[in-house]
Amino acid sequence: MVHISDGILSLPVLAAGWAITIALLAVAIWWSNKKGNLEDEIPKLSVMTAAFFVASLIHIPVGPTSAHFILNGLVGVILGIFAFPAIFIGVVLQTVLFQHGGITTIGVNSANIGIPALIAYCIFKWGNKVGMTLMRKDLSVWIFGALAGGVAVFLAVIFTAFSLILSSKEAFFAIAIALTIAHIPIIIIEAIVTGSIVVFLLKVKPELIGGLGDDKK
Amino acid sequence: MVNYPEIDKYSSLDSPMHRFDPRAKIVAFTILIFAVVLVPNLELAFIAFIGAILFLIASKLPRRFALQHIKWVFLFVVPFILIMPFTVPGREIFNFHGLSMTYEGLEYGILVAVRAISAVILVLPMIATTRFDVTIKALGELKMPSMLVQMFMFTYRYIFVFVVEFQRMWRAMVARGFQLKTNLYALKTIGRVLGMLFVRSYERGDRVYQALRARGYTAKPKTLVEFKMRASDYVWTVVIIGFAVSLLIVSFA
Repeated sequence: MVHISDGILSLPVLAAGWAITIALLAVAIWWSNKKGNLEDEIPKLSVMTAAFFVASLIHIPVGPTSAHFILNGLVGVILGIFAFPAIFIGVVLQTVLFQHGGITTIGVNSANIGIPALIAYCIFKWGNKVGMTLMRKDLSVWIFGALAGGVAVFLAVIFTAFSLILSSKEAFFAIAIALTIAHIPIIIIEAIVTGSIVVFLLKVKPELIGGLGDDKK
Repeated sequence: MVNYPEIDKYSSLDSPMHRFDPRAKIVAFTILIFAVVLVPNLELAFIAFIGAILFLIASKLPRRFALQHIKWVFLFVVPFILIMPFTVPGREIFNFHGLSMTYEGLEYGILVAVRAISAVILVLPMIATTRFDVTIKALGELKMPSMLVQMFMFTYRYIFVFVVEFQRMWRAMVARGFQLKTNLYALKTIGRVLGMLFVRSYERGDRVYQALRARGYTAKPKTLVEFKMRASDYVWTVVIIGFAVSLLIVSFA
């Protein structure tokens, strides 16, 4: 559960989350305006965001409990810089439609989930540049896809833990540790699933794993 | 497996909250939620909680519906109530084989829980009393960037399409004997199904875009909903923001 509820974080952490999120959204909007084809991007981006949102609603059994996908690594790999607005939309909809997360924490949660998505994009892109020269194409895509998927969830959990600790070190330290440990199986599951998805996409629709905005160039 | 979002299931009821102008409703309740989240002690948190309950009652939403939507946050805050009494240093209530429960920890844990639950209760009169597409249009009126407003509109609309699409794919898998377990085979299979979902969504996105362009879409939202502030809207806005401001004044003065 990397979406923190209302009422837990302190004001400086909430404010920092909103500041980072608004800045990154502004960059993404500026970027798409600069490329000058906003009306091309919006419908395609939104339809894919809806698919990611639905995928994130799927619950899978993890031992005695169940967890739902985050898939922020995959969103990063497929959408590149537009992953951030897509994840922001996803976080807001999770909050208002299902009450997973909080209104005041939309900023923090978007940053915690969205920044790792951007990092996952870099891992996948640069990793494959090197990887494809060293090994079979699909093996490289699997490895760096899984790595991107795992690292994205790992960082999201770490960022969430830090948001808690920065709010109140003495009160939330134990909770932050428990949260991190509870997510280890989810990191592994997301890595495997993300790896299989990108290999599937490589075979079926390779233009998808290169950034939605890049395929028209 | 996957369910529809049903937040605006009861948006067709009639109550003061349903009649409240969506723009003013979003602004006023957002300010109140921020105030509730920042109250520093239990007394104020309980006053905020009672206030939230009163707004929920004013919205006439069915109790079962409300509880269904509040339960997730409750699950999120349970670990806080369970763990914090034992980890926050302070005055000891009792000691059990070296595991000590502190008064401060218990108080802080309950404070976090009450604030979280009050905030989520307030989301219901804010969001569940308006059709969600109207809420999105109200966000546009409140100067949210047009790109985001449109992304909300399209994304919300296509969530329903992909829930149906995924349910159909899932039924096909189960009919062929797939069982969901935590093993490598099941995870790889889920990966392929999700991959297919994304391929379909990509292709659908392209078709949607072509269809929109053919109808003259220019990335500028046009809306049929007209918003108009009435006297009662101003009264509710003043009441809600007044409550928020007084919570903040008592908290920090």
